[in-house]
Amino acid sequence: MHALDKKLLRDFRRLWGQSLAIALVLACGVMILLTAFGMYRALDDTLAAFYERNEFADVWAMTEKAPRPLLTEISALPGVQTAEARVQEYLMLDLPGRVKSATGLALSLPDTGALPTLNVPLLRAGRLPDPQATDEVMVNEPFAEANGFEIGDTFEALLSGQKRRLTITGTALSPEFVYAIGPGTLMPDDESFGILWVPQAMLASAFDMSGAFNSLTLSLSRDAQEDQVIEALDTLLEPNGGTGAHGRDEQASNAFVTTEIKQLKNMATILPPVFFGISAFLVNMVIGRIIALERGEIGLLKALGYTDVHIAAHYVLLAGLTAVLGVIIGWITGGLSARWMAGEYAQYFKFPYLIFNVSYDAYAISGFLALLTAAVGALRSAMGAARLPPAVAMSPPAPPRFKRSLFDRALAALRLSQPSMMIWRSLFRWPLRAAFSAIGLSLAVAIMISVGFFSYSINSVADIAFNQSNREDIVLLFTKERSLSALEDVRNLPGVMEVEGELFTPVTLRNGHLEKQLSITTRGAGASLARSIDEAGRVVEVEGPGLLITTRVAEVLRLAPGDPVEVEFLSGRRETFTLTVAGVTEQFFGLGAFMTREAMSRLTRSVPQISVANVTLDPRQDNAFNRAIKDTPLISGAVRVTDMKASFDATVEENISIMNGLFSVVAILITVGLTYNSARIQLSERARELASLRILGFSNWEVSYILIGEIMLIAALAQPLGWLIGYGLGHLMAASFTSDLYTIPMVLPPAAYATASVVVLGTALASVLLVRQRIDRLDLVSVMKTRE
Amino acid sequence: MPETVFHTEKLVKTYRTGGAEVHALSGVNLDLFASELTVLLGPSGSGKSTLLNILGGLDHATSGKVMFRDLDLTVQSDRALTRFRRDHVGFVFQFYNLVPSLTARENVQMVTDIAPNPMKAEEALERVGMSDRIDHFPAELSGGQQQRVAIARAIAKRPEVLLCDEPTGALDSSTGVQVLEAIREVNEDLGTTAIVITHNAAIQAMAHRVVRFQDGNIASVSTNETRVAPSEIVW
Repeated sequence: MHALDKKLLRDFRRLWGQSLAIALVLACGVMILLTAFGMYRALDDTLAAFYERNEFADVWAMTEKAPRPLLTEISALPGVQTAEARVQEYLMLDLPGRVKSATGLALSLPDTGALPTLNVPLLRAGRLPDPQATDEVMVNEPFAEANGFEIGDTFEALLSGQKRRLTITGTALSPEFVYAIGPGTLMPDDESFGILWVPQAMLASAFDMSGAFNSLTLSLSRDAQEDQVIEALDTLLEPNGGTGAHGRDEQASNAFVTTEIKQLKNMATILPPVFFGISAFLVNMVIGRIIALERGEIGLLKALGYTDVHIAAHYVLLAGLTAVLGVIIGWITGGLSARWMAGEYAQYFKFPYLIFNVSYDAYAISGFLALLTAAVGALRSAMGAARLPPAVAMSPPAPPRFKRSLFDRALAALRLSQPSMMIWRSLFRWPLRAAFSAIGLSLAVAIMISVGFFSYSINSVADIAFNQSNREDIVLLFTKERSLSALEDVRNLPGVMEVEGELFTPVTLRNGHLEKQLSITTRGAGASLARSIDEAGRVVEVEGPGLLITTRVAEVLRLAPGDPVEVEFLSGRRETFTLTVAGVTEQFFGLGAFMTREAMSRLTRSVPQISVANVTLDPRQDNAFNRAIKDTPLISGAVRVTDMKASFDATVEENISIMNGLFSVVAILITVGLTYNSARIQLSERARELASLRILGFSNWEVSYILIGEIMLIAALAQPLGWLIGYGLGHLMAASFTSDLYTIPMVLPPAAYATASVVVLGTALASVLLVRQRIDRLDLVSVMKTRE
Repeated sequence: MPETVFHTEKLVKTYRTGGAEVHALSGVNLDLFASELTVLLGPSGSGKSTLLNILGGLDHATSGKVMFRDLDLTVQSDRALTRFRRDHVGFVFQFYNLVPSLTARENVQMVTDIAPNPMKAEEALERVGMSDRIDHFPAELSGGQQQRVAIARAIAKRPEVLLCDEPTGALDSSTGVQVLEAIREVNEDLGTTAIVITHNAAIQAMAHRVVRFQDGNIASVSTNETRVAPSEIVW
């Protein structure tokens, strides 16, 4: 090994603390890139494989009731590869040992006894039900697991008012229900919502659907134009009560999974550059200082005949070793965390398997980027070192030039102590360095704020959604639309205190070329359980014939109060009207629009109807109520708002605390990397100065004040910038998370800023105190003797 | 007539500090001969270190001419000067300039790694009497020992010229004598041209020739008829 290489290794060992601090920041970038990229690839590959192997459909459509022969016509539409018709109904379930009701989505299986051609359920255990059987059913595996069902177990279901005991013959997973979300709920609850695959004959006879279908799935040929197929399909289904076909983008499960995948991809591309940028700065700062301290050695190397390339390479390699350390740490932690997180996701989304291909390209890219970062960071300093004329390098550097400026007069006017003066002077002598340190620290603050706001946002979402907008205990779903008299039936159920009805009507809203499919919610005037809330938290009443829309709809369709909006009904007489936007309301889940019952009734010239009943309950009669609804034919399901809130809180809280924890660690690592290195550099630059002060009679702590003061001053100056960047970054995050599925509002109370600042300032102080100990150990005599 | 190694003509070096121009060298004409041990004597700031730096290819002259044999150093590129230093010149500095993270042997290897026809690091250290301290780090050596390692490092490449800038400047008299002894041995045994800068007048007694500097120019040149061994020099 060459002597210069030995020097390299020994220097690296000597600088291990600083190198490690940089390596950890680099490792963070590498780890996040690997984790996010690995998870993204795993989910994307798994989803793609599951969809392909199990023939995930391209288009879905619902009708009230269409004759089977229509299927031939649909199959013949240009672009359609396969068309499959089925019967689909929501059933009220009575599960053994469970007081509360559950909801089942029943899907008919083909008469032939074979699996469906599209959205093929993957059999996990047992067998398909016998096509002739009237009491057999296959259920989705998560539902069976959540309720502890084994093959052969039974439960009761209400089919068209008739209670029937069904036997589980098998369990399956379906590409259609990777994310299985029940009607009216916000997140999956496998215990109370199940998918039931039922023989066609049994379901058709129960729901008067013999020779007919109400659900249609299509696969399209490669060159098909999806919107043209959907348009043609809508025309064909219109006379049969079609409610509008849609593609994969609006299929609930697919929409949730692909949104998640998109977010992971964003994370893999947005965050790592921040870390690499900070690392490059750290490397530049540290190598720059090492070079300054090693001026003499550089001069010597040149005197001995080492070339510029040799010398530049020596210092770039020193940074390279740090990068290698960071890459190794990042690869190990990133590889493990990617696999672990992908496993967690596979649990959360119901995949039958997980395709986790180690993406060597991600390893290669992250490693390359980390090395490049270090090289870029080191190169400028290294080239500078190489260019120093040897005679100049060998002589000690001239003392830094301090000049008297306006700023000095200001400082003098403040009558600061000499140590304070030293702090300020040094800050203004190297303003660029101070600015970069401050920017780095502000990024640490910003990163914490940018995720810290989530918990506040989600609390506000939960408060508005559950305490202010939806104040009912239970939402009862009717099997089909009912007249207002159904409310009386509900009121007669045991324990019911208040009842209000709502109707959901599928429509397409249009503003020029912009359009969205959604449901208009119709409520009685002055409804007090389910209400609309505006941005300021006030209750918004719809008055007159106008339409109230949610913020997201207003944004997407570019509508404001007073604007006309075209409303095409997708059911009933399928008429199109132009209404006026009466107001905008806050709603965080899905898209929505609201009308009064009176206005809707007048508009559609029909008697008022309802499709759900919102109920408040006397808690003492909870059990009696639950028993009663299981036997009530008109109800297909019950959504418990309190359960929903609890599961929402649990899921979201867990995710948010993991994310907050992760980003706090990241912010801490950045802060340590910056402040520890700054302090070490300060100390080595100022060792003589500080030792001189000690000799002049300053105490250890008085001298430490100079070291601590400068770094903490920079850290303090970094805070406002961090808040500002954090605010912007938070907005970006909120926007990137916002989709038609949910909206994340930006809620940033002072506490969010304070938490981030406390963590970063605390970490900075701890790091600089760690370095400060070295002041106690300063050997005054030898320091004074050492030639710079 | 001995062979001329270095030849300078009207050599000028000016530095700019602040607004003022400082003439470090103002028209130096000098010839230095092969296998000769020359002492450049003069007070601080008289220009002797500047001359040494230019002779060694560490610095460029402002004007005038410097020849190393047939090579005109004044017109060489940085790359060529690096080549020149690597192949022909050994340096010894006042403050030794050893790399603290390398042992004595490794400090010498820094040179043997890149020189075209070096001696073994061990041999070089043996010549300066440092064989028993070969694996010690600089911090474990006394000043005199460090300077002897520096001399070993300088001679390991078998340089034609050995340039010593105040080699005893940081040493006490008895340690300094050991270092001078090492330089004399190199000059005599290997025939290396040695140029020693000093402001210590006592050292001139060991030289073949003495060049006295004053205010950036040569004040006088004298030849020693009888040379004194370093062991007899006291200061």
